[in-house]
Amino acid sequence: MVWRVVIFGSSLFFYGWWNWRFVILLLWAIGSNWFAGNKINSCRQLGAQDGVRAWTIIAIASDLTLLGVFKYYDFFAVELSNLLGMGNAIPILELTLPVGISFFTFQAMSYVIDLRRGVIEPMKLLDFAVYLSFFPQLVAGPIVRASEMAPQIAKRPDPRRVASAEAFHLILRGLFKKVVVSSWLASNLVDGVFADPQGHSSLDVLFGVYGYAIQIYADFSGYTDIAIGVALLLGFRFPVNFDRPYSALSLRDFWRRWHITLSSWLRDYLYIPLGGNRGQTGDMYRNLLITMLLGGLWHGSTWNFVIWGAIHGVALIIERSLPTERIHPVIRWVLTFHVVCFAWIFFRAGSVSDAGSVLSAIIGSSGDANILNAGLIVLVLASIAVQFVTKSASARMGLWMNRRSVLIQGIAFGIGLVVIDALGPEGVAPFIYFQF
Amino acid sequence: MEKMTNTDSESHKDQRRNGQGAPAGKVLAAGLAGLVVALFLNSSALLIDAERQPDGTGRSVALAVWRPIESVASSLGLTWPRATGDRLLGRSETEQVITLLLEKIQVVDVSEKDNWIVPSVQTEQEPKKLTGEERRESLEPGWDADNPFQLWILGDSMVRFFGDTLVSLAETSTRVQAISEPVLSSGLTRPDFFDWPGRLTEIMAEHDPDAVVIILGGNDAQNIRDGDGQWLERFNEAWLDEYRRRIGIVMDLVTSDAGRVLLWVAQPPMRDEGFDQRMQLLNTLYQAEAAERARVQYVDLRELFTDSSGNYSRYLPDNAGKLVDVRLTDGVHLSHWGGEWLSALLLRELRRSPNVDELWVR
Repeated sequence: MVWRVVIFGSSLFFYGWWNWRFVILLLWAIGSNWFAGNKINSCRQLGAQDGVRAWTIIAIASDLTLLGVFKYYDFFAVELSNLLGMGNAIPILELTLPVGISFFTFQAMSYVIDLRRGVIEPMKLLDFAVYLSFFPQLVAGPIVRASEMAPQIAKRPDPRRVASAEAFHLILRGLFKKVVVSSWLASNLVDGVFADPQGHSSLDVLFGVYGYAIQIYADFSGYTDIAIGVALLLGFRFPVNFDRPYSALSLRDFWRRWHITLSSWLRDYLYIPLGGNRGQTGDMYRNLLITMLLGGLWHGSTWNFVIWGAIHGVALIIERSLPTERIHPVIRWVLTFHVVCFAWIFFRAGSVSDAGSVLSAIIGSSGDANILNAGLIVLVLASIAVQFVTKSASARMGLWMNRRSVLIQGIAFGIGLVVIDALGPEGVAPFIYFQF
Repeated sequence: MEKMTNTDSESHKDQRRNGQGAPAGKVLAAGLAGLVVALFLNSSALLIDAERQPDGTGRSVALAVWRPIESVASSLGLTWPRATGDRLLGRSETEQVITLLLEKIQVVDVSEKDNWIVPSVQTEQEPKKLTGEERRESLEPGWDADNPFQLWILGDSMVRFFGDTLVSLAETSTRVQAISEPVLSSGLTRPDFFDWPGRLTEIMAEHDPDAVVIILGGNDAQNIRDGDGQWLERFNEAWLDEYRRRIGIVMDLVTSDAGRVLLWVAQPPMRDEGFDQRMQLLNTLYQAEAAERARVQYVDLRELFTDSSGNYSRYLPDNAGKLVDVRLTDGVHLSHWGGEWLSALLLRELRRSPNVDELWVR
């Protein structure tokens, strides 16, 4: 009981430190979904299917309303105003986006839907509050299902067995990815190229796009590593969220390796309910496209993210309609990687026209700035190559840590922090996925 | 019982070696030991970070914590590994760099601005073309494709969002060559991070632009370390004097050529109230320094980027009444459309300069 209160209190403090007003929003999400979950469960036990459906709809509508108001309202209000030629007749709210809202609302929705499906039991209020607010994954995931966390929260973690070596190693690895790889690429290559694509040579811009692919992977998977490591120190184990995504030989494979907790959420709570692979081929393609478009929109309310989702959706459809297994694996890898990079251009650019500038600069740029150097080329290529190495230096470091006493692990952790700080450039930007 | 405990202990040790974990108390103690090691080894960098913080309780507490730790670590030689690493990575000791660059800045004294010339080290370079003065005397207004009117757009990350657009807009005339050069996270408070006076000296000597657009300040609301290594607290009298001095130096560097125009772009209104107040304070300094110089034009953006009530707004109606998002979601930078609006405004301002308007008129 006490440890749950401590974790819940710590999580609220952590969230409130950024903006205390949004703690109310989090508490609302906890209370409303827990209450609806209990109602769904009661109705199920009574066999009242209408009640189950009604409370599920109420809970999901409440969650989507939160998301809609804070994340999408302005986007649709502006588009509608302009479509109807209403000027500024529709008020624009310009609300600050509560950090992590996309993550905790998706977790809450998975809880009520799983209750409706009868795959989980309702959680106690405090357990549910810990689950939804748990600070290591509150702001940028991974999106942990209730079915994965509920048993861990219900049973107090064993304080005699903390996976310290794995946790220290993951935290160091995550910090290295973020502070050194991601920040270095951002400040020395990517930001400059995307700021002024026409001012750079085509090769610079092409490597800038490759660099962004590595940057966003290092940034997001780095955060996930840190989150998983911190959770391990507290006795919780999160699911894997990344599995060497740039080694994928197809888009389908990519989505099994990239942001796995989101892609599996979209599969289980959107794609399959839409019909999934059932029905006609055209139905399946439609379901794929809708899922990817909404997956794009999940990241943000701009056309860039919609186009990013659309590129993935269309590419997945094309991939499924062709006998791609006959193509040589190297060619498949090249195609997959470049489709992903092509989509990243829209994800990174400030607007659709900015993305167009990047694309046209790759095709032919008159710019003469040349920021590429051997170090950057090696960093980009090595970061791609390491995706194909199953037992990397990082894994060896983990094994080394595991064979040492706890004190040595701690000291190595401390020294690692200093080395990372020294290697990183000055002024590390916030995690990219904090904005989602 | 004792045997059982020993067995349990051995078992735990074995499990730990096999990745089964260690007791929470030991992990906590080991983690704290690691953090203490990190704090001592990194104390110099942490102290500098603390000194850069804006005034307030947080800075005072941080300094009270890091100063004694750094002092102990330094006397024990624990700061040596980090300092050696920084040197091996090509990062000189910050303090020396700051002092050196401040000396460089001080080459140009505001009081002597009328007599100011490009530092000798730069004038030794062979100019690639006629100086602006010579050209204006002999050719003006004879800018053409071979000898184009040169426009440079310089500044911090803000330039990322309008520089390209302004370049495209300006280069609709074949007699104009425009260059956009954003340096992210740069400003005038941290010459150790990026030396704008140094870069401007190079640009003026090598390229001799005809017009320059500058926007700086977004990263400047922080403490300044002066030439004596003393920290000037943000916005106190000494800080304001030093910052105005640096603005003046930059303005004088650019307008050292009698025919060159400088458009100094103000910080736009910001979404965050506190940040907006800080930027508006800096704007008053830019405006005041610009007012003292005939060829420096201060371009205010408040009217362009506020709604009908004079407030910050991400969405504003364009001429056709269509709402467009002119700012990014960070509440600071300009969106693509915001960049287009600002570029159009700057080009209009530029065309008001003598003989410049005809560049875009056929």
